[in-house]
Amino acid sequence: MTSTLDFIQFVLAPQMITGLSLGVAVVLVALGLTIIFGLLDVINMAHGEFYAIGAYAALALGAVGINFWLLLLIVPLLMIPLGYLTERGLIQRVFNKPDRHVTTLLLTFGLALVLEDVLKVAFGPNTQRPSTPIPGAIEMFGIMMPNYRLFLILFGIAIIAAVIVIVNRTALGAMVRAAAFDRNMAASLGVPVTKVYAGTFAFGVALAGLAGVLLAPVFSVFPTMGRDFIFMAFTVVIVGGMGSIIGTVVAGLLLAQVQVLSSLVVSPVWSDPIVFSIMVLVLVFRPQGLFGRLGHA
Amino acid sequence: MLSPSHLPLSATLRHDRSGLLMRASHVLVVVFVVAALVFAALGAALGDTFFLRLATEALILGGFALSVDILLGYTGLLSLGHALYFGFGAYVSALMLKQTPSFWLAMGVVLVAAAAFGFLTGLIANRVRGVYFALVTFGLAQVFAKVVYNTRALGASDGMIGIPIVPIELGVVTVMSNAPVAFFLFTLGFVTMLYAVSAYLLDTSFGRVLGALRANENRVPFLGYSTHRARLAIYVFASVVAALSGALYPMLRGFVSPELMFFAASGNAVITVVIGGVGTLVGALYGSVILTVLKSVIGTMTEHHLIVVGLIFMAVVIFLPKGLMGFVRPRVARLLDGGGR
Repeated sequence: MTSTLDFIQFVLAPQMITGLSLGVAVVLVALGLTIIFGLLDVINMAHGEFYAIGAYAALALGAVGINFWLLLLIVPLLMIPLGYLTERGLIQRVFNKPDRHVTTLLLTFGLALVLEDVLKVAFGPNTQRPSTPIPGAIEMFGIMMPNYRLFLILFGIAIIAAVIVIVNRTALGAMVRAAAFDRNMAASLGVPVTKVYAGTFAFGVALAGLAGVLLAPVFSVFPTMGRDFIFMAFTVVIVGGMGSIIGTVVAGLLLAQVQVLSSLVVSPVWSDPIVFSIMVLVLVFRPQGLFGRLGHA
Repeated sequence: MLSPSHLPLSATLRHDRSGLLMRASHVLVVVFVVAALVFAALGAALGDTFFLRLATEALILGGFALSVDILLGYTGLLSLGHALYFGFGAYVSALMLKQTPSFWLAMGVVLVAAAAFGFLTGLIANRVRGVYFALVTFGLAQVFAKVVYNTRALGASDGMIGIPIVPIELGVVTVMSNAPVAFFLFTLGFVTMLYAVSAYLLDTSFGRVLGALRANENRVPFLGYSTHRARLAIYVFASVVAALSGALYPMLRGFVSPELMFFAASGNAVITVVIGGVGTLVGALYGSVILTVLKSVIGTMTEHHLIVVGLIFMAVVIFLPKGLMGFVRPRVARLLDGGGR
């Protein structure tokens, strides 16, 4: 009996908390991805690079002495024009062609290649790790918990809640949902659809940038960090249901638990294949994902 | 009775046009082969090894890109994990050659194994369409690539080295896989054959069904064709073409590594096809040469060639959506048409 309790306290619980912080991290990256897909029908292959840009911006601005807490505000604000211009300057150029899915996917894939190499040129190929803004750890229920991880979980949950409220409960969110449901109807009711599109894309990119700032002290900063993380984010978006915000949150938290708990049973190298297998199974048996998409009930 | 002349005019014109475009593709392949032969002669005269082997790799990757174009250009399905089959072919070939260095046995096993593997994975991938197809192929490739990456018996992350040099018996001559000129010429012939078989297949009534699927999937069953079977068949065919191209890789380089299956490899094939021209088949070969030249030329100047490749790729997607061959081929077709009258 004690051994079971010990197992729960010293193995299972810490692992699940690690999973929770990983899950929150993945959801933060995946949220922008799913909102962009839900509204624009665009698979943003460059999303991971926007996440990396956020992390590098935090690193660069932090080096000139800007406080971490200020960065949480500044970096997303800086990402907004970048996202807005990307949508207006690149996505819109091919947006109305047939095969929008394929064309925009290819275009953002090209953009990802360019951005990743630009980061390499600008910051060098080496891994950098910003110092933790909140050092130390506290003991909770007999488990040692780094303070920053705790902050990440709480702050991440707050951001996720804020995004849900913005999309579902504000006039801005209503415009986004309306445009996602029926573009022409929304336009005829006076929704400035082109601005909503660009604005939503910018919002998604800003979220990726914010995730970059938040996760840099945990996962380090390197040019391909976006690529490594985006696979997991894509999986989360697909399993949750492309374009569903609640689905992304649920799938992100669940899949992160699958990843950390499976590594208790099998070697951790197998956790990636397991997670990707789940994605394939979901795509095969329920391609729409666990939840419906944005704008649809 | 309806004679062909009673068919709607647009339909006959349309058919003529696609036939003409296909002929233009053949002309462009001939140009490609002639240029390659000149290159081989130059390489032989100068006693070069490096560029010949680089060009051989470009041809192998061209065969791989051809298989991606078969899917993307003729069914509209974008595979983001097609390197799975290229890598599969490379690994099966490497395993076979390590047992017995027999070329034809290895190729035969790759052919059969890739058809079976393509069939099984195709059953999974073809349950979904459009963007989900891109994602499911991506996921499948990730799963298998990670399995290979973690399997000791397959060399895990290091891959397998020490693939023996193989003699390729072609009746009158025997080509050694380490002879730069001969193996280049052999690969050229092999990839041209892959092109010819693909072009032939897509010109049969089966190819027409695929074209119809792309135009209007809902109507095709009413004409008495199974959409599912046609999709699965072309998927298996594309897998086999990719695997046969991959099978040549260990003969050229003497090793295989899990990178052959990774997303970067799949992505490169997609870039190749898009730059060369989607739905032209021949574009895959030209695209592969362009990409290889870009990478090696810019690669000597800077290690950041991805910026240039990425920018060119984006420019093609925006300004030249049919790729290089989409630009060149109609002009060749017009020349052919003018010459025929």
